[in-house]
Amino acid sequence: MANANGGAYSYSLTVFSPSGKLVQIEHALAAVAQGTTSLGIKASNGIVIATEKKASSILVDDSMLDKVAVVCPNIGIVYSGMGPDFRVLIGKARKSAQAYWKMYGEYPPTRVLTQELAAVMQQATQSGGVRPYGVSLLVAGWDITRGPTLHQVDPSGSFWAWKASAIGKNMVNAKTFLEKRYNDDISLEDAIHTALLTLKEGFEGQMTEKTIEIGIITVPSAGELEEEKPGERPKPTFRKLSEEEVRDYLAL
Amino acid sequence: MEYNGGSVVAMVGKDCVAIACDLRLGNQALGVSSNFPKIFPITDRIYLGMSGLATDLETLRERFRFRVNMYTIKEEREIEPQTFAHLVSSTLYEHRFGPYFIEPVIAGLSKTPSGDLKPFIAAADLIGCLNFAKDFVVSGTASAKIYGLAEALWEPDLEPEDLFETISQTLMNAVDRDAFSGWGCLVHVLTKDKVITRTLKSRMD
Amino acid sequence: MFDVQSVAHQGPQSRQFNPYTENGGTILAIAGADFSVIAGDTRQSEGYSIQTRYAPKVFQLTDKAVLAVNGFSADGKMFVKKVKQRLEWYRHAHAKDMPIRSIARLIQTMLYSRRFFPYYVYNILGGIEDDGTGSVYSFDPVGSYEREACRAAGAAQSLVQPFLDNQVYYKNQTAGQDESFPTHLPLPSVLKLVVDAFTSATERHIEVGDGLEIYVVLKRDSTAIQSMEGVQEVTTSEEGQRVFYIRRELKKD
Repeated sequence: MANANGGAYSYSLTVFSPSGKLVQIEHALAAVAQGTTSLGIKASNGIVIATEKKASSILVDDSMLDKVAVVCPNIGIVYSGMGPDFRVLIGKARKSAQAYWKMYGEYPPTRVLTQELAAVMQQATQSGGVRPYGVSLLVAGWDITRGPTLHQVDPSGSFWAWKASAIGKNMVNAKTFLEKRYNDDISLEDAIHTALLTLKEGFEGQMTEKTIEIGIITVPSAGELEEEKPGERPKPTFRKLSEEEVRDYLAL
Repeated sequence: MEYNGGSVVAMVGKDCVAIACDLRLGNQALGVSSNFPKIFPITDRIYLGMSGLATDLETLRERFRFRVNMYTIKEEREIEPQTFAHLVSSTLYEHRFGPYFIEPVIAGLSKTPSGDLKPFIAAADLIGCLNFAKDFVVSGTASAKIYGLAEALWEPDLEPEDLFETISQTLMNAVDRDAFSGWGCLVHVLTKDKVITRTLKSRMD
Repeated sequence: MFDVQSVAHQGPQSRQFNPYTENGGTILAIAGADFSVIAGDTRQSEGYSIQTRYAPKVFQLTDKAVLAVNGFSADGKMFVKKVKQRLEWYRHAHAKDMPIRSIARLIQTMLYSRRFFPYYVYNILGGIEDDGTGSVYSFDPVGSYEREACRAAGAAQSLVQPFLDNQVYYKNQTAGQDESFPTHLPLPSVLKLVVDAFTSATERHIEVGDGLEIYVVLKRDSTAIQSMEGVQEVTTSEEGQRVFYIRRELKKD
């Protein structure tokens, strides 16, 4: 079965093997496992998502590399796996968020957007002429009903909410590390440090502001929420940390 | 708008909102029914009133029922009045070049971030241009008359019973001067803990 | 070059002159037991342009009659001029002012005489009858008329009239036990209603605003007006009727 072309159950349309597996999806997960490590931690007052990014050559202008992406003012995503697939998904996610805004005059709750993305990824597991997306995603967002939430989406289209999770090359070790380190009332500042510490385990090379990317969700205060007026541009709850900020966190 | 006739008005009070409509259904000058309500509950604390073409009213009522049910299931939460107003607006604008002949009025109590309930009213034209007024909104064949009365009778921070009297007098006296509206009125007053619904008798000519 | 061919192809053309226009504004009159209040705003507009912020629409005809005209202001001006002229002739012939009900009938005759090229104006006549009661007569452009207790006309008629139904005729209101609604309102209440009606109409109608002119015609010995702010007495007749003039500002936007 496991021959060079993937065997009889790896046609372009994902097909079940007799043992009930979808080999194409397993291959996609393998692609994710080759990708650089990303992780997310939910804190009591926010969320941090972080990743290491590696340029294939020192000649690459790394200002172009973006692994943490803003979807809408309240949601950000980080990925492990295939960059081009991620860009397609981010495009779809942003479009979906704007379509939601057009319909309801507000940005989607994290779970709704995650569900939408998961549906897109699931579609690729049973459509003709396509392959599954070679990425896992960590979706961090804030919304009025559920507050800060962190979701992971896999190539199969399945998704869960996590307190902390890791994906990519070093995910097994990172998850064990996080399990030891995590507690429910960790602050965002502590979570950022834990995130960097986790990435440091099994990090190849130097951790600098050029090789680390961080995005954070900050929970707005009651006062800030009261100030917000419907129809006005909402104050962002997700933002990427600048290189200076990352450098400061690394220095501590 | 004059094919079936009808009017709707909504007003803000102190921690309450009121929405009222007439009960006439006509076929141009001919009166057909004297029990045709134009206001429907969307959730426990959102009421939607529609005036205009009766067939479009029925269609839109079903459409909004469908869309709100889908929203509730998908998002596992009740829709907020502002969000519903946007939904109404987008639904109407989807038919920008072949519109539903409906002017909607929305009244509700919306949740503030601190968990309080705040009065909310809105109205739109037939292609969904929203009007978030702080005092009152009107629609229908008697709209000009309702404006005249509401502008003179309404005042801020009315208690539920006073708001009921104000919206009732506004609507009844307005529809009595409108040939296309009247034949009885229906009034809802939404407060934090209950909805007061009353049917009013009025001139039947 | 003038192209004969193409002109010939266009077929017959018609041109028409429209002698009428509509100048906006609103008038209103309410009759009391022994007084009558006649009011109008002072904005004059054509389409979306304001021509002037002060163009009176309410005119004192005699010591006990005031006429408000609304619609096409050129016709209105001319009409008031002609009514005044006829009233002067009447004075010369009879050595007294024409009674209100006769002025009303005169106005009907004058309007109907132009049945097929009407004065495009809505008239409201207010004053004191010979029996001392306050009266209001309202007319359509071709002379149909009626004596009433109150009437609004003009651009914001649809906004004001149902308000008057409610507040003057107590429509849709029921008196409490052992209570009853007055058949005639006292003057201060009437003035309050008039000001309220115009501020409301100004708020919601673009053709109403700028200024408000109110005329009050009082029966002889009436004590309805005691002391009121900004009230100015215009005339007192030999018979004892008094006419007062009140001016209020309205929003100018």
